[in-house]
Amino acid sequence: MEQVIEVKGLCKAFGSHQVLRGIDFAAGKGEVTCIIGSSGSGKSTLLRCINLLETPDAGQILYHGRDILTGGVNMPQYHAKVGMVFQQFNLFGNMTVLGNCMTGQMKVLRRSREESESNAVKYLQKVGMEAYINAKPRQLSGGQKQRVAIARALAMDPEVILFDEPTSALDPEMVGEVLSVMQKLAQEGLTMLVVTHEMGFARAVADQVVFMDGGVICEQGAPQDVLGQPKSERLQAFLKSML
Amino acid sequence: MPTTFFGWVGFLIKQYGGLFLTGTGVTLLVSITGTVFGFLIGLLVAIARTIEPPRGAGSVRRGLLRALHMLLGAYIQVFRGTPMIVQAMVIYYGSMQYMGLDMDHTAAAIFVISINTGAYMAEIIRGGIISVDKGQFEAAHSIGMTHWQTMTTVVLPQAIRNILPSVGNEFIVNIKDSSVLNVIAVSELFFQAKSAAGTYFRYFEVYFIVAVIYLVLTLTVSRILRFVEKKMDGPDNYVIHGSQSDSRAEIVVSRANEEEVQKRWNK
Repeated sequence: MEQVIEVKGLCKAFGSHQVLRGIDFAAGKGEVTCIIGSSGSGKSTLLRCINLLETPDAGQILYHGRDILTGGVNMPQYHAKVGMVFQQFNLFGNMTVLGNCMTGQMKVLRRSREESESNAVKYLQKVGMEAYINAKPRQLSGGQKQRVAIARALAMDPEVILFDEPTSALDPEMVGEVLSVMQKLAQEGLTMLVVTHEMGFARAVADQVVFMDGGVICEQGAPQDVLGQPKSERLQAFLKSML
Repeated sequence: MPTTFFGWVGFLIKQYGGLFLTGTGVTLLVSITGTVFGFLIGLLVAIARTIEPPRGAGSVRRGLLRALHMLLGAYIQVFRGTPMIVQAMVIYYGSMQYMGLDMDHTAAAIFVISINTGAYMAEIIRGGIISVDKGQFEAAHSIGMTHWQTMTTVVLPQAIRNILPSVGNEFIVNIKDSSVLNVIAVSELFFQAKSAAGTYFRYFEVYFIVAVIYLVLTLTVSRILRFVEKKMDGPDNYVIHGSQSDSRAEIVVSRANEEEVQKRWNK
């Protein structure tokens, strides 16, 4: 299988605190990778490094085999191809729902207004938010905001979307609507890296589950193996605590 | 000659009304243009001061950026740390004596107010930029926007809305503080008043009139700014297009009925 994202020996420290201690894994085209682990295990930092919101100290991040850290990859293009959905949604507060989904297409991809708008509406329909195109983010519920954020990422026609705990800031009754959108995207073959605490989602949707602990990957593999027959004590304890 | 206070006020207005009017005009001209240019200077300085060295930048570029930051920091310190009246003298007479420049008084006044205001605006705008949630920067970067695009399309619109009260405050300060520029003989309101007062030695009445004019100016400006702030917030209402039963329906949602409509729509 063709690898889209490949991470090799990734290290990252904040001051004297070593958050990532040599991470190796790969995500193939169309695969859904769920990254699980307790708080502080480095899951989010890993995702933020892949999106270059943090600069790694050592290691490689390969996108189709080319290292994005040593140059040679056009950064705006890379960001357009690798989208991100945040825990806190981060919708642009000064724009409407439609504007949020159009601005990246127009500024980064240099698409025309008409094309950007029709594309934005298409993806807003996909996440069921087409009725709210004129609303401002502050007028939406958490689940609605996150669905718009997913549409904003999709509107860039990315190859990969990174989800950083997309449901952790939501009220329980809104988690379902976001997860069902994500499940739909997975079925359509989008490559996804998902940091999540939703074990049910990981079990049902993931092709690969990665368990992180203390800045390293403890276990990885198919969900039925990692979640069904955990080998390490740490993972067994972690899964127990999630019940 | 009038004998009462109001008699003198009426007399002076009749005698020097035109002078007061042109003085008011010049005051407005230098304070408006000074505030606008100051805002633009502040905007550029603030944006430059928020640039972080790009990943993998060489030591030369890092050094240049650091030098630029230090230079801008010094500019702010100097112009916030000295009185505008002194800045006016230094700039006006300095340029005359050492560069042989004979600046037009009004142009010199606009120049002085602009760079003085720029120093304050730079800090106000930087505060505004910092106050915008970090997630907004991250979201913009994550879809590939450059620093400049992030600033102009996402961050500054929100920052400027947040700092509008402070910017308006600077404008009002400029209307009043442009009076100190009479030291470089700008024919603004205070300067005109000085010549009017001297003729009949009616200082109290003349400056009473001038005080009223300044007050009217600042009150009017505050009102206008409040109006602009409200406008920038946009309507509280929004429209939901289409409903389950009718695709052409338009449901207006206001703050008041927001929850109710959302509940109904989500059913």
